[in-house]
Amino acid sequence: MFIKNKRSKTWPRLVLPLALLTLGGCSRSGLFLLEPEGLISQTFYHYFMLDVGIMLLIIIPTVVLTIWAMWRYRKGGNGSYHPQWSHSYAIEAVVWGIPLLTVGVLSYLSVKAIYDVNPYNPGVIAKAQQAAGGDPVEVDVIATDWRWLFIYPQQHIASVDELVVPVGTPVRFRLTSTSVVNDFIIPQLVGMIDVMPGMRTKQALVADKAGTYVGYSADYSGAGLSWMHFQTKAVSPAQFEQWVQSAQQSPQHLSYAGFNRFARPYIAVGGDQQIFGQVQPDLFDQVVGEVMRGKVWPTPMAMTENMVNYMKKQRAEQKAGDY
Amino acid sequence: MLVHLQGPWNPLLGRLTLQQIPYENPILLGTFIFAAILGVIVLGATTRYGKWGYVWREWLTTVDHKKIGVMYCLVGLVMLFRGFIDALMIRTQQAIAIGPNSPGALGAVHGYLTPFHVGQIYTAHGLIMVVFAATPLLVGIMNIIVPLQIGARDMAYPYLNALGLWLTTAGGALVMLSLFVGNFAHGGWYGFVPYFELPYSPGVGVDYWMWAFQLSVLGTTMGSINLIATIVKMRAPGMTWMRMPIFTWASLSTNLIALTSFPVLMVALGLLGMDRYLGTHFYTAGMGGNLMLYNDLFWIWGHPEVYFLILPAFGMMSEIIPTFSEKTLFGYATMVIASFAIGGVSWGVWLHHFFTMAAAPNVNSFYSITTMLVGIPTGVKVFNWIFTMYRGRVRYELPMLWALLALFLLLVGGMTGMMNAFASNDYMWHNGLFVVAHFHMMVLLIAASVFGAVEYWFPKVFGFKLEQKWGKWFFWFMVLGTGWVFVPMFFLGMAGMTRRLDYIPYTQWAPYLHITLVGMAFYVVAVLFFVAHLYVSLRDREKNRVGADAWGTSRNLEWMTHSPVPAYNFAFIPHVNARDEWAWRKENGIAELHAGDYEDIHMPKNTGIPLFLGLLSMGLAFALVWRIWWLALLCLVLMVALIIIRSFDRDTDTTIPAREVERVERAARDGSSGSVPPAGVLGDAVIATSTVRSGSGGIGGNTTSPRPSWAPRNR
Repeated sequence: MFIKNKRSKTWPRLVLPLALLTLGGCSRSGLFLLEPEGLISQTFYHYFMLDVGIMLLIIIPTVVLTIWAMWRYRKGGNGSYHPQWSHSYAIEAVVWGIPLLTVGVLSYLSVKAIYDVNPYNPGVIAKAQQAAGGDPVEVDVIATDWRWLFIYPQQHIASVDELVVPVGTPVRFRLTSTSVVNDFIIPQLVGMIDVMPGMRTKQALVADKAGTYVGYSADYSGAGLSWMHFQTKAVSPAQFEQWVQSAQQSPQHLSYAGFNRFARPYIAVGGDQQIFGQVQPDLFDQVVGEVMRGKVWPTPMAMTENMVNYMKKQRAEQKAGDY
Repeated sequence: MLVHLQGPWNPLLGRLTLQQIPYENPILLGTFIFAAILGVIVLGATTRYGKWGYVWREWLTTVDHKKIGVMYCLVGLVMLFRGFIDALMIRTQQAIAIGPNSPGALGAVHGYLTPFHVGQIYTAHGLIMVVFAATPLLVGIMNIIVPLQIGARDMAYPYLNALGLWLTTAGGALVMLSLFVGNFAHGGWYGFVPYFELPYSPGVGVDYWMWAFQLSVLGTTMGSINLIATIVKMRAPGMTWMRMPIFTWASLSTNLIALTSFPVLMVALGLLGMDRYLGTHFYTAGMGGNLMLYNDLFWIWGHPEVYFLILPAFGMMSEIIPTFSEKTLFGYATMVIASFAIGGVSWGVWLHHFFTMAAAPNVNSFYSITTMLVGIPTGVKVFNWIFTMYRGRVRYELPMLWALLALFLLLVGGMTGMMNAFASNDYMWHNGLFVVAHFHMMVLLIAASVFGAVEYWFPKVFGFKLEQKWGKWFFWFMVLGTGWVFVPMFFLGMAGMTRRLDYIPYTQWAPYLHITLVGMAFYVVAVLFFVAHLYVSLRDREKNRVGADAWGTSRNLEWMTHSPVPAYNFAFIPHVNARDEWAWRKENGIAELHAGDYEDIHMPKNTGIPLFLGLLSMGLAFALVWRIWWLALLCLVLMVALIIIRSFDRDTDTTIPAREVERVERAARDGSSGSVPPAGVLGDAVIATSTVRSGSGGIGGNTTSPRPSWAPRNR
């Protein structure tokens, strides 16, 4: 609750095209990128609007110029005809100058934006945290084929396909994958970061408003990709504490041996959420290490060729066991 | 076996079993029946009308750059159709499979395609459209036009030219074959590692993808060597660098890109092949492999490849717009500089394909800026085209309409491209539909230029114009389809929708997906109009016969020779006096094609060896896909043997005697004056006698006399 996003959204909206303005009206339209609710996504939105505005300043006159030239100099029209005219230093200077200037301005903004939202240490979050103090919430994310496991190392709990974060508090992620490359995104809160096997990447976010936001994998990872999404619940810090305590009561525990079974290919058609009350402390690092040493959870050929039958079988198997 | 494989293997057939023939899938069965009927009709008709000899002599064994170009375009057209059907299936699947309550059929939970099948379709769509449709169409047009524009009689290496064609065709055929034998890769056209490694893609699909890709890479690399050599060494006398037609400049720039980038892809795919066949660990997650290496290598090819496709398209626009503005191109020198600037920058932007792969912010900043730099020369080109129309007399014939469509698509694509280059934006929609919509704007720009170029140069190659009425219907429905498919797709990008979904979990996105389906309906109608356009044009070809200068206001050397172009292109190699030589000659009143003292013309001789090498390389690739080692070895040995045999063949050229040249020239001249249309299409067969010639001289156009009498004397 200690971080307020003060970035103004009103003035960039003035330079928006009509099409985007009308969209601003219909919230809950599913246009997630236009409804930012987190510090990172707001920052993106701010620069995005600037970018669009500047580009339109160039593109609209160019379109008008094109149409004017097409009409004015049509055959049989009123335009004068100079078949040999093909060069003018003044025009050449302008046609090189305008793109040069535009690219210069946009490059400056782009670099500024990159430092503000770069996943490893987003400038906006670092600044906010420095101003307010306090510890961030840490979450270790492991992407399997095709589920998300969120481990809260400070709280020793884990959750499957459901991410719960406190509003207004920075959340810092470490991410890895067991098998192939995935891409972690919660469009209304934070942008993408690759989730790669045998490697650790980072991301950070602050949620501005309580609510439920969708998150999913954005990089193709196989047959179960379309169902590889998770819910992000942004709740008040008090509710977060409450959730942690109830999660710690869960009888299911997760060790590496259990994880080894958990990580087999599984398509979460029902959005199957699950809570682990106790998690082996260094599970994240152990998974990274094992994958680096060559551990794979292969996709059976039967699965690529007849996914539906495989899904039914695997579902029955995995539902039965405890990890 | 060198690596552990899931599933059976035997020495005779490798991994191939009867279960690998997908006869139980009604979609594939239907496709097979359609393809089989089409094949029977074509082969049957060829036999019925006794045309096998003609097909063999004039097409399959030809080394004529124009015929090879036409065949490249035909391959591209067939694959374009296949890619379009794939697109249709992706869009219908995504319009049906929305939300948990959406219906499912044919074994799919939602929609009518299983994830495995959808995966194959979009992989095939991407690979085909980029590598087997756009590339052959562009290479084909460059093949036909570049030698004509520079006043050469053929390419520098006619045999290599044919080899490039047949290797590319073999790759395309392999992709088609995977429909009916086995399956195709199912993870995206550019191949994800480690997803494309054996543990996650155990089937033969990735192998099909890899070898088909390799063959086309080989073919395109050969083509680029050939075009560069042709442009550098075989320009007509008097054609200095700054007198070169702008399309030739674009071709030079684009092929320099190809020559320097395609070998990287060859290596990238080769290393993946070693992972899959020999059990190495270049791209695996563990055992010291690094998946980032693949991304780097692939996109070091992949981004220059984008400009490899777009520069010829820009070149085509730069030819069409001046012709139909009845005016010189504005800022010729600037255009040349811009083409090479785009080519130069293209090697330094590849990282923007993975801004989200956790590079440090200074690295992302660098690539964000270099990517934006591309916008400068591209912007200059746009302005130059506008100023070409300025003070001109713009005629809205079909080629011009296509060129202008390409111009508008470039404005949209360029703007969204600049938005993608802004890395903080890319963090939000990387791998999303915004990116997809953006690059479809760019490839549709290429498609529009290609359609424009085909309309524009068709009379040069075949001697008659395409009709305008159905062509305009085709054009306007393409415009409609593009708007209806891609405007909603930009909105889906703002929705955060990602690529390659076979099931859409969020029902809010349904309206947009349904609107794109309407757009697809427009595209289907457009395809029907296209067929009508071709049919009517062929039917009424006698009405639309044209002379050398089909459009009346064209400017370059290719319009100086007859339409259709004779086998030897130019009876006399022209002497070039100015930039836009043909326009210069018309202005100075020396446009008359002179009858003169014809001389023997030295030309390359037809050979069937490239065709056989293509067939054998396809056999080799097929054997490697199914791991039938004996067949692979056999094909390899035969290929090496053929190459050795060919290298000892001294009888590779031929001479067209002067009287034959005279006969063809006379017929073409009489034909163009209206009385007798020239027989046949595309360079009536000339009777040639084969002689072994020693010494220098050759297709570059060394006629016997160093200074032909017809060359203008006052320059």
